[in-house]
Amino acid sequence: MSLCRYLPTPSDRMGVLWTLLSVKDAVVLEYGPAGTTHFSVGFFGKLGVEPNQTLFTTHLSEDDIIMGDVTRLEEAIREIDKNYHPKVIFVVSSAVISVIGTDIKGVCTYMKEEVNARLIPVDTGGFKGDYSLGIKEAYSLLTRSFVTKETEVRPNSYNILGASGYSYRMKADLWEMKELLSEAFQSECNAVLGMDSSTEQLERLGAASVNLVLKAEALPAAIYLQETFGTPYIYDIPYGYTGTKQWLEQISAVLSTPVAPALMQKLQLRMMQSAGYKMYAAMYADREHAPNAVLIGDYDQLRGFSRLFAEIGLPVSLKFAAHSLAGLEADDIVKPKTEKEKIDYLKELTYSLVLGDEISLYLCDSSCEKLLTAFPLVHQSQIAEHLPFVGIRGMDYILEAVDRYFSRM
Amino acid sequence: MNGQDILFRLKRLNEIQDAKEIRQLTAALFPGSHCPLMGAMMAIGGIEDAIMLVLGTDECTYYTKKATIGGFSFHGIDNRCFSVVLNQHDVTFGCKNKLYHAFDELVKEISPKLVFLVTTCVMEVTGDDVDSMAMELNDKYQIPVLPVHTEHFKTENHLPGVRDTISACIPVMKTGLPVQPNRINVIGQRLGSFRETETFHLLTQHGIEIGMMLPGGTSLEAIQTAPAAKVNIVVHELGLPLAMKMQELFGTPYVMFEKYASPERILASYQELAGYLQLDLTTELEAKYNACTEQITAAKAELSGMKYIYGNTALACYEYNAFLVSLGMEPQLIQTNEFPGQDNEFVQAILEKYNPYVTKTANITPLQYVYDELKPNLYFGHEYATRLRAKGIALVHDSNLSSRLGFEVTEAVVTELRRAAAEAKELIARRVS
Repeated sequence: MSLCRYLPTPSDRMGVLWTLLSVKDAVVLEYGPAGTTHFSVGFFGKLGVEPNQTLFTTHLSEDDIIMGDVTRLEEAIREIDKNYHPKVIFVVSSAVISVIGTDIKGVCTYMKEEVNARLIPVDTGGFKGDYSLGIKEAYSLLTRSFVTKETEVRPNSYNILGASGYSYRMKADLWEMKELLSEAFQSECNAVLGMDSSTEQLERLGAASVNLVLKAEALPAAIYLQETFGTPYIYDIPYGYTGTKQWLEQISAVLSTPVAPALMQKLQLRMMQSAGYKMYAAMYADREHAPNAVLIGDYDQLRGFSRLFAEIGLPVSLKFAAHSLAGLEADDIVKPKTEKEKIDYLKELTYSLVLGDEISLYLCDSSCEKLLTAFPLVHQSQIAEHLPFVGIRGMDYILEAVDRYFSRM
Repeated sequence: MNGQDILFRLKRLNEIQDAKEIRQLTAALFPGSHCPLMGAMMAIGGIEDAIMLVLGTDECTYYTKKATIGGFSFHGIDNRCFSVVLNQHDVTFGCKNKLYHAFDELVKEISPKLVFLVTTCVMEVTGDDVDSMAMELNDKYQIPVLPVHTEHFKTENHLPGVRDTISACIPVMKTGLPVQPNRINVIGQRLGSFRETETFHLLTQHGIEIGMMLPGGTSLEAIQTAPAAKVNIVVHELGLPLAMKMQELFGTPYVMFEKYASPERILASYQELAGYLQLDLTTELEAKYNACTEQITAAKAELSGMKYIYGNTALACYEYNAFLVSLGMEPQLIQTNEFPGQDNEFVQAILEKYNPYVTKTANITPLQYVYDELKPNLYFGHEYATRLRAKGIALVHDSNLSSRLGFEVTEAVVTELRRAAAEAKELIARRVS
């Protein structure tokens, strides 16, 4: 079972790259063959990461590999420092460099005297694991490398940790969460780890009143911030009306501030209005094709969507993780051993509500109701920043898909 | 960024002895060139029965599959591109077992007729013997399995990937086929369609049929029967190794007939081709040649003195630049990854009048600063027209040249040059006013 027919799972190196590219005033310099960088630009574009004078490559020649010549890397570092004046240059090794074992840490160490930018070597060749591991390492790296110890806590502020570019519609999710937190507590966002933060914002990661952790990959960063600054963290995502309410209540407890009554009333009203879905789910349960949801995505989305469907009484028959589950509590989540196993399973599905990536949805039978909720995208794009999956708007949107699904029953 | 500093690191044409001496504008590149893996993908996409099996990291295999879903004649999600993803274990202990396993799955699932086994950078560093694996798989399954090596660190762009993929097809070709006197093969058509060219129409009007078109639209059967052609037309130099090998193995002669701009060279190519095919094309060729030379004579006054920067175009770089020099135009900077040698006739023709800077392609960001130093009138190749216009430079388009060959190339080139020169003069006038 070694043949890959569709898209392989992105590697740790890819996860590192899209996370580092999210740091606004930094530059990523890849030490490796130019083709990989060129190819990656289209991929990053799909994620909403547009490298504009923030991603460079050195290219490599056979001579460089045989002789271990790092002149290109040294010149590129000097040039970027002089011409673009970034605060930080992340020097990222390619797969080839990782295999031949070039000491990029050593190069960064002796080059730091020559340049104004801070040099941070990232020796991730893409062989250690999948993107989940990569973003976990990148979150830790960004937190530990930037956060300043002397930080005054900003009252009523929060960080969002783990906003990955590889989460479909993450920008919309961030927008919804910020709107909710503003309405609920008039809280302000201090920094977002993983998306659109400057080095200055990362430096003051320790200043937030609370850390809101969206992904398991950001937990080590949250724990580090708790140990260093005493910042409490909440590991949850506001999926569903009930989930959103619970999320706000957890934050309320930490901030010692009640949730704005108007928002709670809005949530209560939505919860009442959606009670009918439970009834329909129960009513259709005896039909030839009993209603059920199938979820494909990352670990935290699977957990969040599971609770969301529990809220409306729609059973989840299968949860496929898009990445390794190593170290995660995932009794009911499956990571298919092979691509073939996943394909076979998806092709067998009929009359399910399927939430997942474009390839998985493509493989499912046309009798299924399909909702795109995860990367990878192949033909589709991600433009709208006002169509979240989280919060009130997110649940509204998902219920529309449930309506379509029930109408097929 | 300082344009003078950038130019200071470059060599001029008369200083270059080898392609390795052509320097980049900067050491930090964006986006950088495409790799040979992309070239292999483009070539395999054009062979309708061929399967592409990529051996590489998650990244290389991911990007390749994604690109094929979007185009390159692979069509859609369920297409002919597959991969074997290498992990740390494979890098350390070799990929043979994984490859053989994957190949077995491939054969059972889709019964391929022809498989290209495409390696990537990491495999070429670890030194897995993919050639012998391909031979073993070929023997075991009785399917042609053709290895293609696409390490980017030995090349400067994607074109060697196209070259090596089409050259890898030799073992599939049958020997001992009777030669068809009215059949030709077209080798090296990497962009556009040969069937839309002047050359195609002229030849088919005289009863010539097209056998293999590699790359650019062919089948396994057409490749197998390619040695039955009377002559091969090589329309891009990347087809030359295959043509030379076919001449050596099957005795098939070839004619170099690239997208030339010079009418004399086009005429010579046509005449050589007509000689092999025993065709009398005198009347048509004379008419076309005369029309071209008249057009050139009329255009010279408008074009003379125009300064330009040359990027990447569909034409043969040095021949095209020599042609432009013959029109009185001045090359200030040539972007290319190739160098044919100081004794090359086109290099000499350029050097007789000018000595431009030479740099590698696909690094357009620092070019912005070079424009301020050199102040060219025209830019050839891929750039943003609005950005150029803001600097007083007119873009010379070449997008309509992909499906042209013969005198129509000269005609289209000169027409576009006149348009661009008029635009450049208007930009100058606007600046003055």
